[in-house]
Amino acid sequence: MRKQDEILVAEMLIQLNAKQAKLKSELQEYFEGLMTPALKAELNNPNHFEGGGPEFKNAMQTMGADGWIGLSWKKELGGKELSPMEQYIFVETVMRTGFPFPFLTTESVGPMIAENGSDWAKEEIATKILQGKLIFAIGYSEPNSGTDLASLKTKAIKEKDGYLINGQKMWTSLANFSDYIWLATRTDFEVKNHKGISIFIVPTDDQGFSMSAINTLGDVRTNATFYDNILVPDSYLVGKLNEGWSLITSQLNLERLALVNHGPVEELYNNVLNLAHQTKINKDQYLTDLSWVKHNLAQVYSGIEALKLICWKQTWIMESDQLNMAEASVAKVYGSEFFIEAYRLLMEIMGELSLLKNESELSILNAKLERMYRTASILTFGGGTNEVQRDIIAMAGLLMPRTR
Amino acid sequence: MDFSELSHQSEIRDSLDKILIEQCITENLKKFDDKFKHDEELLSLLATNGYLGLGIKEKYGGTGENLYDLGILFEKLGYHAAPLSLIGCLVDVAQTIQKFSDDERHLSLITSIIEGNIHTSAILEPLNQDPENPRTKAEITGNQLTITGTKYLSELASKSKNILVSVNSHEGVLLVLVDSNKTDISELRTTANSPSFKVDLNSVCVDRSSIIHTEGRGLEALRYLIQINMVMRSYLALGVTEKMTSLIAAYTSERKQFDRVIASFQAVSHRAADCFIDLECLRLVNQQAAINLNSNLDCENDALVAKIWASNAAHKISYSAQHLHGGIGADKDYLLWRYCLLAKECELINGSSSQNIERLGLNITSNQ
Repeated sequence: MRKQDEILVAEMLIQLNAKQAKLKSELQEYFEGLMTPALKAELNNPNHFEGGGPEFKNAMQTMGADGWIGLSWKKELGGKELSPMEQYIFVETVMRTGFPFPFLTTESVGPMIAENGSDWAKEEIATKILQGKLIFAIGYSEPNSGTDLASLKTKAIKEKDGYLINGQKMWTSLANFSDYIWLATRTDFEVKNHKGISIFIVPTDDQGFSMSAINTLGDVRTNATFYDNILVPDSYLVGKLNEGWSLITSQLNLERLALVNHGPVEELYNNVLNLAHQTKINKDQYLTDLSWVKHNLAQVYSGIEALKLICWKQTWIMESDQLNMAEASVAKVYGSEFFIEAYRLLMEIMGELSLLKNESELSILNAKLERMYRTASILTFGGGTNEVQRDIIAMAGLLMPRTR
Repeated sequence: MDFSELSHQSEIRDSLDKILIEQCITENLKKFDDKFKHDEELLSLLATNGYLGLGIKEKYGGTGENLYDLGILFEKLGYHAAPLSLIGCLVDVAQTIQKFSDDERHLSLITSIIEGNIHTSAILEPLNQDPENPRTKAEITGNQLTITGTKYLSELASKSKNILVSVNSHEGVLLVLVDSNKTDISELRTTANSPSFKVDLNSVCVDRSSIIHTEGRGLEALRYLIQINMVMRSYLALGVTEKMTSLIAAYTSERKQFDRVIASFQAVSHRAADCFIDLECLRLVNQQAAINLNSNLDCENDALVAKIWASNAAHKISYSAQHLHGGIGADKDYLLWRYCLLAKECELINGSSSQNIERLGLNITSNQ
């Protein structure tokens, strides 16, 4: 056995290094400045929870000008080429502030267009995304294609001047203030499902485009979107014809990880802990003096610790270019199910006060608790439903056979 | 940030596997199912190959002060259900002395332990929920301590020349080495048949020089002992649950019903996937706790989180494994049952999930 006193245990430390910690505090400071009272007020309006208002648009362009968009993009595409860990820190810090940063536009769609788009798309679209001037919505799901996305029916047919698009998409979030839809279409009807899919950039100001609002439990608006004889030029195709599936799946791990970032739930935990600690329940007792309150806080704390470590490890795996299917799915399943449990435990601590809406007298913490629990279930099926993730864990992690 | 193992750690893992696969074949394990569960032969094999010096400084004959290395040992002992109970010896005694003593007489025990001798601890007391506040008392007159009290779940006390005992005194908490001949030792039978003892101390007299720490550091030393004990027991639980999960995957991939392997039923594979998730969480919180202990960071909460996850995972995975195996899981001719017993000991010893949740909650709310 080798002796190893000389090895610095510090190298094994599981915490941010100095450079990463500096990035985090820089970002914190930047976003504190960005979140003006006017922007905060706008974001409290249910119509603007997810952005799209004038203050939000201003903030996006400011961020573009200050170079905070395109962090994951390669340098030659005009980005900062941050490492996965630095990107994770970025997502964490942004989410903690509550700014509805359009990650899918800037970190998924943007770099894919910059890399695979036509000359027009690279110049016109990618550049404007970097400037914070364009927002995309994702057009994947359809009424009959959800988890089995590759069965999608929206079609794009080659015409002389481009592609003629017809079909319907569901859950097209942000479409109500987006400039374009990142649209998955069927372009080959003869091959296996996932081999005949192509991605198009579709302008929402086309007269063949329409939508109807879907109002959800969490007061997050989403949309059904309709594509009626929309003709787009060839240059609106992203990547190669019939090879869109790889664009859809290429960033899935990164996207899933962003969904379960530990930042927001830790922020909520800290807020509840502070509030409970200041909340008097009688002459000489605070909420935090109650044993069951301590119990709930400790449950959430130990859950967050595990989530943080899972996310960091997954990020580290990406950073070292390893592929580990099971771990990405562990993060998704554990994170999404933990959020639900954490919100419940934290709501219990504040009790009935957690039920009061933001506009109500006596409401607490901007009614974050009242809102979060209503949005929690989206993550257990969205971003790759947890049943499929568990299938992946059993197959990739435990080498069990495929289920049917 | 780096989650990878150092190259020597993978070596430890592989070579321990080799030894333990050979030594812990069912035939061998069966020998210890009904009698004193302590495999002398295996212990001396581990000693000869240097494994008892994991986590011990080179100057005391060890392989270096890295608790992650020691964690691998306990993980592997758990994984192979090795008939050895070494936390009292390698963790409580060797690690605490290494950290808190500068007295050659105490430090020589570390060398003795590395050679394969047993010197254990006696910390826990029946019905005392707060091990940091021992009920065992020491009266101090001059240089003399007179100790009275009852300890239990002391591993291998009958094989142990010295026993490290936690006591309360007018000078506060102390950790004291006691000659086992001066104590009354009786064997207990635990659920996993671990070699566990009750230790009665009836006015046992020892010299002040038997206190292993410098003045005023008793509570700190005891807290360190409890924390590192939690973390290493969590590593033992990690090994036990890893093995149970791999048994689930193997068994359900073979067992056929309705003309197909039962692993191909989603209900079965998802219960297995949940075990995998718990396992991954446990592995990571253990790694964080061991590494932070290495760096002398304040990590009581990390140790508590590790033990909370260990207790929960041990319980959940044990019953998932039993359920998914059906009757075979309970059959003593198969191997799962030993792991189920070990899992329960890992779960409860040195604080259950609920007890440690309470402790963690107290820490969180008092540091505000």
